Amino acid sequence: MVRRAQGGAGGVMADVPNAARIAPAPASPVTPAGEAGGAAMPASTADVRDAVRFAAGRRTPLRLAGRGTWLGAGRPVSAAVILRLDGLTGIIEYTPGDLTLTARAGTSLAEIASATAAEGQWLALAPWGGDAGSLGATVATASAGPVGGSLGMPRDVVIGVEAVTGVGDIIRGGGRVVKNVAGFDLTRLMVGSWGTLGVVTEVSVRLRALPEHDVTVALSVPPTLAALADWLATLRAAPVAPLALELLSPRLARHLTLGDSSVLLARIAGNAELVAAQQDALGALGDATAVSGDIWSRLRTIEPDQATVLRFSGPVAHFADTWAAAERIAMSTVGGLAHASVLRAVARVILPHAGEELPDGALVALRAGARQTRVFERLPPSLWPSLAPSAVSDRLSLGVRAAFDPHRILNPGILGEPLA
Amino acid sequence: MANDHLTTLPAQSREIAERLAEIVGPRGVLQRPSELVVYQSDGLPGYAKQPHLAVLPRTRDELVAIVRLLAERRVPFVPRGAGTGLSGGALADDVVLIGLNRLNRILSIDPVERLAVVEPGVVNVALTRAATPYGLHYAPDPSSQAACTIGGNVAENAGGPHCLKYGVTLNHVRAVTAILPDGEIIHLGNDAGEADGYDLLGAFVGSEGCFGIALDVTVKLSPNPPAVRTLLADFMSIEAAARATSAIIASGIVPAALEMMDGATIRAVEASIYAAGYPVDAEAILLIELDGLAAGIDVDVARVEAICRAAKARTIRVARDEAERARLWQGRKKAFGAMGRVSPHLVVQDAVIPRTRLPEVLAAIHEIATRQRITVCNVFHAGDGNLHPNIGYDANDSEEQARVHAAMREIMATCVAAGGTITGEHGIGLDKLEYMPLIFSDESLAAMCRLREVFDPDRRSNPGKVVPVRSCREWYAAPRAARGA
Repeated sequence: MVRRAQGGAGGVMADVPNAARIAPAPASPVTPAGEAGGAAMPASTADVRDAVRFAAGRRTPLRLAGRGTWLGAGRPVSAAVILRLDGLTGIIEYTPGDLTLTARAGTSLAEIASATAAEGQWLALAPWGGDAGSLGATVATASAGPVGGSLGMPRDVVIGVEAVTGVGDIIRGGGRVVKNVAGFDLTRLMVGSWGTLGVVTEVSVRLRALPEHDVTVALSVPPTLAALADWLATLRAAPVAPLALELLSPRLARHLTLGDSSVLLARIAGNAELVAAQQDALGALGDATAVSGDIWSRLRTIEPDQATVLRFSGPVAHFADTWAAAERIAMSTVGGLAHASVLRAVARVILPHAGEELPDGALVALRAGARQTRVFERLPPSLWPSLAPSAVSDRLSLGVRAAFDPHRILNPGILGEPLA
Repeated sequence: MANDHLTTLPAQSREIAERLAEIVGPRGVLQRPSELVVYQSDGLPGYAKQPHLAVLPRTRDELVAIVRLLAERRVPFVPRGAGTGLSGGALADDVVLIGLNRLNRILSIDPVERLAVVEPGVVNVALTRAATPYGLHYAPDPSSQAACTIGGNVAENAGGPHCLKYGVTLNHVRAVTAILPDGEIIHLGNDAGEADGYDLLGAFVGSEGCFGIALDVTVKLSPNPPAVRTLLADFMSIEAAARATSAIIASGIVPAALEMMDGATIRAVEASIYAAGYPVDAEAILLIELDGLAAGIDVDVARVEAICRAAKARTIRVARDEAERARLWQGRKKAFGAMGRVSPHLVVQDAVIPRTRLPEVLAAIHEIATRQRITVCNVFHAGDGNLHPNIGYDANDSEEQARVHAAMREIMATCVAAGGTITGEHGIGLDKLEYMPLIFSDESLAAMCRLREVFDPDRRSNPGKVVPVRSCREWYAAPRAARGA
């Protein structure tokens, strides 16, 4: 049985008899430190392996942390020792002509963006939350952003992963080429597993060339839901192939100084002729105002760390209902914001000041949205058990968990799996 | 034998055959050697296995009943679509072979959501044909698309020329209802493509029939592009065509497809009924397709032409109409068939390399072929570095066969050394098992065994594929404690 690590320096190690004999303290890769618990900061995949093996031997749960930007996401983790991966940085291989890149997991998205921009390329993940986070965390949480609907989700963009399993095995899935069906797909398994199947240590991704022209316009949106649905149907049939279509609630539009009512941000890219033709096509749909391209990074970083964030998705045909549900919840709280990626029919609600509880109105609206698939990114800890107790309760998911982390020491609880 | 813990079929074969006939009717069970010949091999020569019998369900309920019967009796089985695979994947000795072609109903097409739900035996091109009235198509387009099935495509994570821009099968499958080898029915993924929990759908796609059988598959349909331009550029050397390919990719233009064919292939195609009008004196051609909105497409066409010219293309022509475009593509898609004129047997090989390494790896393959005195024809997805070095030979000549095998091993090692992989779209099957340790460590192979065990603890579904038996043996031989169980 795994004993839950207690807080405090002694708590982690005290359960294990003869710990010092098994691994002398000075050489121990997992060092208890301070009141909050222990921490380990590996600098290589081998270090990660040593740390995980050490922890596995003692059944010590580990909290995996990339650059620490999204630690509030997911269900609460019961682990006193933090395995910090922000020392595991650097681009390992980048051949611009191949449009592929391999980097250590703790490398920030910003570092990758700057290295690739120098070659006229980019990593088209651009997740909500901005570029301060790490590549490893983006992949482990399968975080996407406004271009996910056109350029692919993390599962589509990642071509290879190296990870350390819960027993300290170093495994690799995929490779460094853009097409690969060799072996069972460990890569897809690691993407979105929130670290519970392995500590992601290295990631290979496909890149894209930066478009020659990249223009964003803000379109005013019909005021009623019925009119919105018709208008979006027209937009879908129009000769445009946007990189992103993001619908913003009035309050969010205001935050971004785009006026006082709902707007649709459309990002179009390509050669000059293609962009001009699409601008004309969008202009025919209503008032279109050119907006600076930095609107996307401003939008991606608008949510505060402590915000409650959830996503709704449903059929394209019922997108207006999905959007209405999202807006209803946003409006029920002070400062609530909503936006939706129209290409994927996914709406996202940001409640900046939710605190420990959600208002009754929000809870009622949440529970009413039966037609939508709901994914919670960040919730007050007390609400997880009632709103989304588990993402891995089925036999296969539990079997996979047991196959890769039999002692359940990697981020235990983050997906709501029963604790060991 | 990987499955020596399982019941051997012959011991209870008669009774199993009777029970299967109760499920599908006597004509749905094939036992005579003459009836089973077709199930002994797939599209790759060199592998012949003897299934004990084949059973051909017509409905989902029949399939479920079959799998549950086999689960009860612990009988190994192999699911099979159209048998067009190129890795020796859908065959095994002494198994019940489950032929899925008759499960060929398109269950629904939703033009608003752009989703289709199909049974596993639906032929790839039949889905596109059914989606055409809505201005939609199913994007993954393997060369065998006129025969291969969606279920087989899912099992192999199949690709095709247009996967360069639009992605492989994995990127187009939204959900799968599957029956596990133990008879449990599961649903993986969701229509919205939203992720919460493990991507078991991602693990299932490309699992080569080792994780279970798809009962239905929900796939994305893609809108037909309003504008398409197909270019044919010919070159006097493979190297020049390879340089043009690398330059197009590096330019940032993403063609819908970028295919290369070498001189030997061109001449085989032009001598066949699939003659497409390729210049027979060229040493390489590129078939390049650009698609998308009409606006600006000719600007990109002009840029691609300029890149090809700079790489010393001899002539470049743009298909004038749909008929010419179809003809250019037919030559490409039927190239494997055309090569049948050249030699009695053809190994269609599959490997991937980083795209900047094309010129040197193609030169290395040429050197290997010359040294081993074999004929290699190259026709492949140059745009994503997915090579198909095809070797024509006579399988009845054991000395030649040995040279073919030696060359194959060298080619795989060359691709791996260049930073590539051993298969881009055909799968491991039996053919690539021996190369798996070239790219995966023992720990990674053991992890794959563990993953398989979650879906199929008895390893009864398509036994002996994908992961070398040795790797799994060592895993299973380890004491349970060391396995963390």
